[in-house]
Amino acid sequence: MSTADIETFLARLYTDADLRARFLESPQEILARESLSAQQRSALAAIDPSELILAADSYRHKRVSRRR
Amino acid sequence: MAAAPRTPHDRFGLSWRPEYSAAILCHTDEIDLVEIIADNFLRDASAARSLRTLSAQLPLSLHSVSLGLASSLPAEARRLENLARLFDVCAPESWSEHFAFVRAGGHEIGHLAAPPRNDETIDGTIRNIRLAARIVGCAPVLENIATLIRPPLSTYGEWRWMDHILNAASCDLLLDLHNLLANCANCGDDPEQTLRAAPLDRVQTVHLSGGKWINDPRDLKRRHLLDDHLHDVPDSVYALLATLAELCPNPLTVIIERDGNFPAFEIMRDQLRRARNAVASGRARRLQHHRREACLEHC
Repeated sequence: MSTADIETFLARLYTDADLRARFLESPQEILARESLSAQQRSALAAIDPSELILAADSYRHKRVSRRR
Repeated sequence: MAAAPRTPHDRFGLSWRPEYSAAILCHTDEIDLVEIIADNFLRDASAARSLRTLSAQLPLSLHSVSLGLASSLPAEARRLENLARLFDVCAPESWSEHFAFVRAGGHEIGHLAAPPRNDETIDGTIRNIRLAARIVGCAPVLENIATLIRPPLSTYGEWRWMDHILNAASCDLLLDLHNLLANCANCGDDPEQTLRAAPLDRVQTVHLSGGKWINDPRDLKRRHLLDDHLHDVPDSVYALLATLAELCPNPLTVIIERDGNFPAFEIMRDQLRRARNAVASGRARRLQHHRREACLEHC
């Protein structure tokens, strides 16, 4: 995966609550569906779950407040 | 004896918000400039024209939040052209964006996200800045962001990654001291040491704001500092500002940001006064160091 694809994966992870929930439950299962190198897979699997939840929450909050 | 450093002409301003517009215009003797969120004026031609009137009373800088320049993906020319039109209408003295991506593959994140800090995003960001400079007419000043999540697949630390980009694109740094504080708090780094390691020779503009502590969703013993622009500037940020003024040779333009939970304007004026005092104390320390060094050289 190029960095552009990684950015796209992160954007999906930050904005798609369903994907994020499945990733938090079983990161390896979600990552197995992406064409990642071993290094990319292990780096993405190491994302801190709390940080992901809080970051996604703050992005969602901003999206909602901008729509108002 | 080495020549004494010139006292730089530091400036102090506020982010422009409708809640404070009348008060700002009544205190132009205390406010050197205002910063405009560009995105709030891109779709409203008459509001954009009102900025031209404002610019006759106070210098303006435009602050953009949705271009997503820090990415391996190309920035959208259409968005840059919209900004260029606004730039032409209100003639700001400068404009700024962030070290952030905000969308990828059709997914709008809706806010500033930290990309992987690697060679591909260095190259992509430099390309995007050059494209932006061509379309808008000048390069943006770029701001460090606060991030609650450490960007995966990073091969550079934040400052080294930004330094590569700033040098290659010949851009200045907008140093947000609360963003610095928040990232340090969330990563266990020391803010003062982190500030000293920043590319300070590139700093021209400074943002001050506040935030709040939030609980970790999974670990009761862990907390995170959220940069929300809804709270007053904390003491620790003024302390960092004083250190910055001591270390940085450039004239600083200091802007206080506030996005909501607006206090009485008197509180904003008080924060401006505190910012001026912090810079003055840092500049005094800088002068003292210089005099001591000059004295040692002379003796």
